[in-house]
Amino acid sequence: MKIDETLRKLEEITKRLEEEDLPLEEALHLFEEGITLAAKIKTELDQAKLKIQQVIEKAKDVFSLEDFDLQ
Amino acid sequence: MREERIYTISELNRKARQILEGEIGSVWLKGEVSNLTRAMSGHLYFTLKDEGSQISAVRFKGRSAFLPSPTIEDGMEILAYGRLTIYEPRGRYQFVVSIIQPAGVGALQLAFERLKEKLGREGLFDKAHKKPLPAFPQRIGVVTSPTGAAIRDIWSVLERRWPLAEVYLFASSVQGETAAEEIVMAIGRAEAFNQRETPLDLLIVGRGGGSLEDLASFNEERVARAIFDCEVPIVSAVGHEIDFTIADFVADLRAPTPSAAAELVTPDHFEVLTSLVAFLAKSQRNMRALLERRAQGLQTHLKGYIFRIPGRRVEMLAQGLDLRLAELLRLTGEAWKKRQRDATRLEDLLRLADPSLPLRRGYSLTFTPGKPTPLRNVTSLSPGERIETRLLNGRILSQVEEVIES
Repeated sequence: MKIDETLRKLEEITKRLEEEDLPLEEALHLFEEGITLAAKIKTELDQAKLKIQQVIEKAKDVFSLEDFDLQ
Repeated sequence: MREERIYTISELNRKARQILEGEIGSVWLKGEVSNLTRAMSGHLYFTLKDEGSQISAVRFKGRSAFLPSPTIEDGMEILAYGRLTIYEPRGRYQFVVSIIQPAGVGALQLAFERLKEKLGREGLFDKAHKKPLPAFPQRIGVVTSPTGAAIRDIWSVLERRWPLAEVYLFASSVQGETAAEEIVMAIGRAEAFNQRETPLDLLIVGRGGGSLEDLASFNEERVARAIFDCEVPIVSAVGHEIDFTIADFVADLRAPTPSAAAELVTPDHFEVLTSLVAFLAKSQRNMRALLERRAQGLQTHLKGYIFRIPGRRVEMLAQGLDLRLAELLRLTGEAWKKRQRDATRLEDLLRLADPSLPLRRGYSLTFTPGKPTPLRNVTSLSPGERIETRLLNGRILSQVEEVIES
């Protein structure tokens, strides 16, 4: 899942948890899911390392990627 | 004998002047300045010439008050706007100049205005065509030179702000005669890559600052059309001395520099983490409120049943409820512990935003003594001023010798 989808999902969960007549089990389930998603995003951000690759078109519509060295 | 009209010299000069002014009037002339003389009065007298011919020109002092013009010199190519006339007392045919522009810049400027008007009329700059940019871009294409400052600037902003990004560089030269064509090709490459290999969230097209001539390729029609036709949203990022390039008008978003582009298109990952903490706190409050409401509801519910249901069933129900409550407590307990762990890890992360961290990594901050915020701009300093540099384990007081803006 892309990070924006994950964040949107989290937002939905937060909203649903505000519903007064939400069944308890569902609420717990959502809460769990929310925490899992939050942890996942955080881990992704933790481990993120910016990557730059140069795209080279070897032949028409045939691409190869080379790590781009800033030095 | 037919009577020939005999003119006086004044009459002839006046008539010639009227014909010249009426038939030719005001024109733009391009030529080289020579024989420049600055009269005591402040008027400029010079000759404008090309390979085959020349004309006397004068620029009267009063004109320059409201139309500033560059200082001209012998040998300089200029574009001059003025009217053709005859100075009657001397019968002197001359060009009275009102506007002077260096020929190179003037021609570029003129082409710029024409193209801007043309593309504007065609609707290439209309808001309706501007594509929206994603809030959390993951795959960012960059069309620029692999050896220029732009890609480094973009890298350093993204590394700090949004290291989640994957950057794809589509190399192109960004100045010189082949630049426009190379930029168009690189945009085409990015589009093909987007369609066939990896979808791109957006494309930054630009270069660092330069003179008007350096940026000329970003004012070319084919570059503008390539930007307009591109399916991937484009952010223009041309470091300018002048205000805008044609590429800026046609792009989906305009940034003044490559660094600014990287900053504009990405969220700050610390802000995202902060919103995660907010989510956890809010959800926890909601869960607690929900559990409290439910506990009350269950009690009321249970009391109602007790009067209507035979004893055995009540026992079974109570037992079932106990089991479920135990299960719920276990679940909430786990969720709670997990939340605590996550919150701790988030706090660790937020600690990374500590301003002393860069100092640990060997960077330093410079202050004007007595001011609380670090200096961001060299132009706020002048030689002789005292500055204070803070490193991790102390301070250095020094005096500015020279300020070099880069």
